[in-house]
Amino acid sequence: MVRVVGGLTLVALAAGLLMAFGVAPREVTQGNVQRIMYLHVPSVWVAYLAFAVVLVASMVYLARRLDGADRLAHASAEVGVLFTGLTIATGSIWGKPTWGTWWTWDARLTSVSILFVMYLGYLLLRGMVEDPDQGARYAAVLGIVAAFNIPLVHFSVYWWRTLHQPPSLMKPGPGTMPGVIVAALLVNFVAFSLLYIYFVAKRVSLLRREAEAAA
Amino acid sequence: MPDNWGFVLAAYGLAAVVLIAYWRRLVRRERALETGSRPTARRA
Repeated sequence: MVRVVGGLTLVALAAGLLMAFGVAPREVTQGNVQRIMYLHVPSVWVAYLAFAVVLVASMVYLARRLDGADRLAHASAEVGVLFTGLTIATGSIWGKPTWGTWWTWDARLTSVSILFVMYLGYLLLRGMVEDPDQGARYAAVLGIVAAFNIPLVHFSVYWWRTLHQPPSLMKPGPGTMPGVIVAALLVNFVAFSLLYIYFVAKRVSLLRREAEAAA
Repeated sequence: MPDNWGFVLAAYGLAAVVLIAYWRRLVRRERALETGSRPTARRA
């Protein structure tokens, strides 16, 4: 099953690249550097998705004490941190030619950095507590608390008007982007979502086997 | 505005390197578990 998802992911990523570089037009204002959007925006989408899964799995773990829920939260947090790091790095690379700076203490950039550090702390906490049950409980509480930062990140561009532009796609009201750009974004959303599922499935399986081997 | 292809290449190249490195790390740990040696095995 994981292999099938892996195969589908490869096909979807190839389609995403084709859409980003072969089908989507050159953006009028920014030029070709705007093609970073097809990588940057799906990355942050996967980060949101991953941390939402951490939230739900953590609540299930605290309510039912299911080891599977704990492993899912652990795996999803790890993949979420990976994609948040990618979001920050690709945003910085995109920011230099368009904003003239690699970094600024803008509301969106600052809040997403706090999100990154919080889930990095989540992973560190899991590694620091000796007793696995206690570690899982502490991590579940942190996984729930840290999720409150997700709406803060998303709505920061509305609440504080700083440098980062408001969302172009995940916003209320009619879209303003041309259909072909939306289509390219959607294909990359699907590709990155499949990549997330593939990574999490592999990581969950590893965590289960490591626990069995350690028992 | 100039196209800045170098920045596009840097972003996609970095993403490829990071994602492939993470995938290779998962595969290495899987192989280590299969062979019975657990050099990086951690508590779940």
